Amino acid sequence: MTRQAVDSIEDVVKNLIVAELRVDRNQLMPATHLMKDLGADSLDALNIALRLEEAFKIKIPDDAIPKFLTVGDIIKGVNEHLSAQ
Amino acid sequence: MRRVAVTGIGLITPVGCGREAVWSALAAGRSGIVRIEEFDTSSLRTNIAGVCRDFRPLDFFDEREMARLDRVSQMAIAATGMATREAGLANGQLDSYDVGVILGTGFGGQGSIEEYCGAFFSNGKGRRSALAIPKSMYNASSSNIAIRFKTRGPNLTVTTACSSGANAIGQAFHLIRYGHADRMIAGGADAPVTPVVMDAWKDMRVLSTKNDPPERACKPFSANRDGFVLAEGAGIVVLEALDLAVERGARIYAEIIGYGSTADASHITFPDPDGEANAIWRALKDAGITAAEIDHINAHGTATKLNDQSETEAIKRVFGSRAHEIPINSIKSMIGHSMGAAGAIEFIATTLAIDSQIIPPTINYEEADPQCDLDYITEGARRISSNSRLRTAMSNSFGFGGNNAVLVVRAYQG
Repeated sequence: MTRQAVDSIEDVVKNLIVAELRVDRNQLMPATHLMKDLGADSLDALNIALRLEEAFKIKIPDDAIPKFLTVGDIIKGVNEHLSAQ
Repeated sequence: MRRVAVTGIGLITPVGCGREAVWSALAAGRSGIVRIEEFDTSSLRTNIAGVCRDFRPLDFFDEREMARLDRVSQMAIAATGMATREAGLANGQLDSYDVGVILGTGFGGQGSIEEYCGAFFSNGKGRRSALAIPKSMYNASSSNIAIRFKTRGPNLTVTTACSSGANAIGQAFHLIRYGHADRMIAGGADAPVTPVVMDAWKDMRVLSTKNDPPERACKPFSANRDGFVLAEGAGIVVLEALDLAVERGARIYAEIIGYGSTADASHITFPDPDGEANAIWRALKDAGITAAEIDHINAHGTATKLNDQSETEAIKRVFGSRAHEIPINSIKSMIGHSMGAAGAIEFIATTLAIDSQIIPPTINYEEADPQCDLDYITEGARRISSNSRLRTAMSNSFGFGGNNAVLVVRAYQG
């Protein structure tokens, strides 16, 4: 995966989180925890999973969602799902 | 305060139509969960549901009548006909301002809404209708019951998600108890097994995906449970002031004695054992009994990870160590979760358990879960021996939004 392709995944993920959680983009660091730092609950996690599936045309299994704890986890998770396809 | 009896029962469920057929299926531990064939499910993770395939609308309506009624109303009216017929009430006894209707529904005329929205959004393709609104409005079922059976009293529709049917019965019970009605037709109906609703549930990831075999998918209280199975159905009871029921020699299935209704005030979907326990306490208080007098609990038991755990905790908070001695079942294991109808169908099952002294099982229990360690009647239907009587029982319904409703019913002995 090229650095440019990785950057654009990060952009899409961050845009998506900003849209879903109504937070500022500058709050999103790799270690930012969705629930503890951004006040998300598991319904938000389900919605974010749905938007990721739509944006990247991937299928995210149920057991992957509890692992989406930080912004970095999500970016990593998306990369893994894209590589697996 | 008047005492209130259950004198008529009508049922449309995935395991059959009518009290006898349904009870015989439940007592035998038979499941009505099937592969959905009514529409394309290829984009869904779940392709099973509880569908009422034994329900034949043309047995109850002609085609012109059917065209004016959403499926939910068809089921509600048909079940009401069964209940009033069983109660031995002719139209003359229903045609009164002292006889009303309270129905519960979660999705109302959903099929009709989808038909009209489909026509609207496809720019003229699909069927529009002047009847779109009268068919799909949430009070269509209760109003159509009044029209058909001439009940002129209070006519209301309660919508509290999964506890709608139970809240409807509870409210109807109180109307009679406090002298605002003599008889009430009460219960719930829902026909939510539609393409749009199944898709919407998919995105919440709360439905079981154990599609094969369908009848084994719903596993309440089992450690390997993975969600509920959506279903449709209707459960209707005739509630009647006890003195009137006795006076006309009606068959009395049981007496409804308590109703507790609370809001968790916590989360829009996640249950809170505190709100649930309080609904149970309030139902007991309303019944004027103690926790020690409950002989059986018909659980909400949806087979989601969260409900079954939260409900078990709530039961323990109220009943303490005695919780382990109370036989508890979930008939959703067999008929799925029919949303607004569930609380009513389960109230009926609780009533019939008292009437028959048989408690239907919780099927599909496979693995013990340390957080759900009560007696869930997993070995098959339990026949109560003549030594210990099943006298007083409770039915729980805990809905999205934290809407909790608990009903208490007791054997009538005079």
